[in-house]
Amino acid sequence: MAAAPEPGEPGKGKPFKLLGILDVENIPCARDSVLYGSLGSVVAGLGHFLLTSRVRRSCDVGVGGFILVTLGCWFHCRYNYAKQRIQERIAREGIKNKILYESTHLDPERKQTNSDSSN
Amino acid sequence: MAHPAQLGFQDAASPIMEELMYFHDHTLMIVFLISSLVLYIISLMLTTELTHTSTMDAQEVETVWTILPAVILILIALPSLRILYMMDEITTPTLTLKTMGHQWYWSYEYTDYENLCFDSYMTPPLELDPGELRLLEVDNRVVLPTEMSIRMLISSEDVLHSWTVPSLGVKTDAIPGRLNQATLMTSRPGIYYGQCSEICGANHSFMPIVLELVPLKHFEEWLLSTLE
Repeated sequence: MAAAPEPGEPGKGKPFKLLGILDVENIPCARDSVLYGSLGSVVAGLGHFLLTSRVRRSCDVGVGGFILVTLGCWFHCRYNYAKQRIQERIAREGIKNKILYESTHLDPERKQTNSDSSN
Repeated sequence: MAHPAQLGFQDAASPIMEELMYFHDHTLMIVFLISSLVLYIISLMLTTELTHTSTMDAQEVETVWTILPAVILILIALPSLRILYMMDEITTPTLTLKTMGHQWYWSYEYTDYENLCFDSYMTPPLELDPGELRLLEVDNRVVLPTEMSIRMLISSEDVLHSWTVPSLGVKTDAIPGRLNQATLMTSRPGIYYGQCSEICGANHSFMPIVLELVPLKHFEEWLLSTLE
């Protein structure tokens, strides 16, 4: 649907994909999750190594930490993103209804004022 | 429309397609993590000197690699079922459009109010105007109103076809002797392209679908002008 770039116009570069599949630039929450996961991996792996001096096991802990932290951040971020989308939709509908029904008997503010005055 | 060498989805133009994209992102993240784990384990296998030739059992690891995939499948299945049922929600459509697949064009019928029928053939490349899209443009577009629930009834007059519009998340088989139903609801106006998605003969690649979604007022004007 977007027009192809005209000759001479700089086109958008190909998006960067981790392992060739995960588009971290365009998928919401992907970049943050992977970055936090990497941080968690380094902290967990390094911490385990400092405590035990076992290299191989520390690498395993690092990978496990990466997976757990990435997954945790991902679900947390996506949950908040979904909540935000719902709130945006409610706000959008509210603005649309307000504009559409202002000063008619269907005006949501008028209904609310009537119920307040009757109470 | 799709860009050359595009691998990902087209921009979503309907709520269902948005939900499909979110589900795809969710599943892709799980796949990415599993792939990372497998890559790591493969690299370990290549560099280990640990060998044990008389292993009899491994209860702990067998428990882990049974429970963990089950948990992963549940994590994928729950959003999948949610969106599956969302796609089959019963709505009250405001408009019904019938489409019949032929070799090799689509025909459309708006029969709710007046009887409007037309065929939609691909525009041959030699007859395209500058700026038009090769193998995607048609002579008669399907004009529909935005932000309204539209029922699509899809069938075929000859062989199997499939009516597809990727931006709207619609792909429904056109089967001779059977009537399939799909529901469309677009969030924004625009022109949306699709192509036949079931092999149907020599010109299977040359029977595209073009939807022109316009506000209701413009749709009514188009309807009146076409009927005249």
